[in-house]
Amino acid sequence: MWFYDKKTQYPINIKKPDPRMAIAILTQYGGPNGELAASLRYLSQRFSMPTKEAKATLNDIGTEELAHLEMIGTMVHQLMDKVPPKELEKLHVDTNYVIHGRSVYPSDSNGVPFTAAYIESMEDPIANLNEDLAAEEKARATYDYLINIADDPDVIDPLRFLREREVVHYQRFGETLRIVQETMGKKKYY
Amino acid sequence: MDEQTTLLEQIMAYDFALYDLQLFLNTHPSDTNALRDYKMALEQSENLRRQYQSKYGPLTARYLPNTTCWQWINDPWPWNNKEV
Repeated sequence: MWFYDKKTQYPINIKKPDPRMAIAILTQYGGPNGELAASLRYLSQRFSMPTKEAKATLNDIGTEELAHLEMIGTMVHQLMDKVPPKELEKLHVDTNYVIHGRSVYPSDSNGVPFTAAYIESMEDPIANLNEDLAAEEKARATYDYLINIADDPDVIDPLRFLREREVVHYQRFGETLRIVQETMGKKKYY
Repeated sequence: MDEQTTLLEQIMAYDFALYDLQLFLNTHPSDTNALRDYKMALEQSENLRRQYQSKYGPLTARYLPNTTCWQWINDPWPWNNKEV
């Protein structure tokens, strides 16, 4: 189970609204390479992980992704909050507004709703861990794109933090894959 | 930055270090240096958390201050902008 800690994993305090940037970042909330997909992927795959290292890694990275989902939601909220509807229309983000208001809804930047079809959970730990390595790189690339189009340090700073976490998770999943392969390899000779 | 935010960000820094070490230890469970760092950061985090909660109220619902009113619902929530 989980307990809630009343803080984000990394500080976020965006002073300047930017609805277009909000919609760009929204893809990391409910898009194909987003934090919700990441969390559900690892928390679902953990049930069939064969070693204690792999169970812990999937459990704990899946949990950290929930904290990242909260960070992304916080950024989207602060970038959209209190922006007048007419301003949203001028910035061409009014189609999102007429469906969801200024709420945070799990979709990608084009408004395509979140779907579990973005993830896979197979019993085979080698297949799962290879998907996880690719997922971390795709999320890292998405953060690169977001950083490329951002210009406010209040936005860039947490995006850089999240990008760095993808790199660390990739490293940990690589170590986990090695451990699982070694363990499964040994079993052949029993 | 106000005193409350400064203290909270110190806790966030130690808690982040702890979580990063936790992931590292999951694949390196015998690394004594990482274990030592984890122990040190844990003591710092718990110490700062005690200070914060006694001054500014609960960070988790499992902290119950000696008051007659449930303080968990009080602002700020993490997604709110800091008041300038």
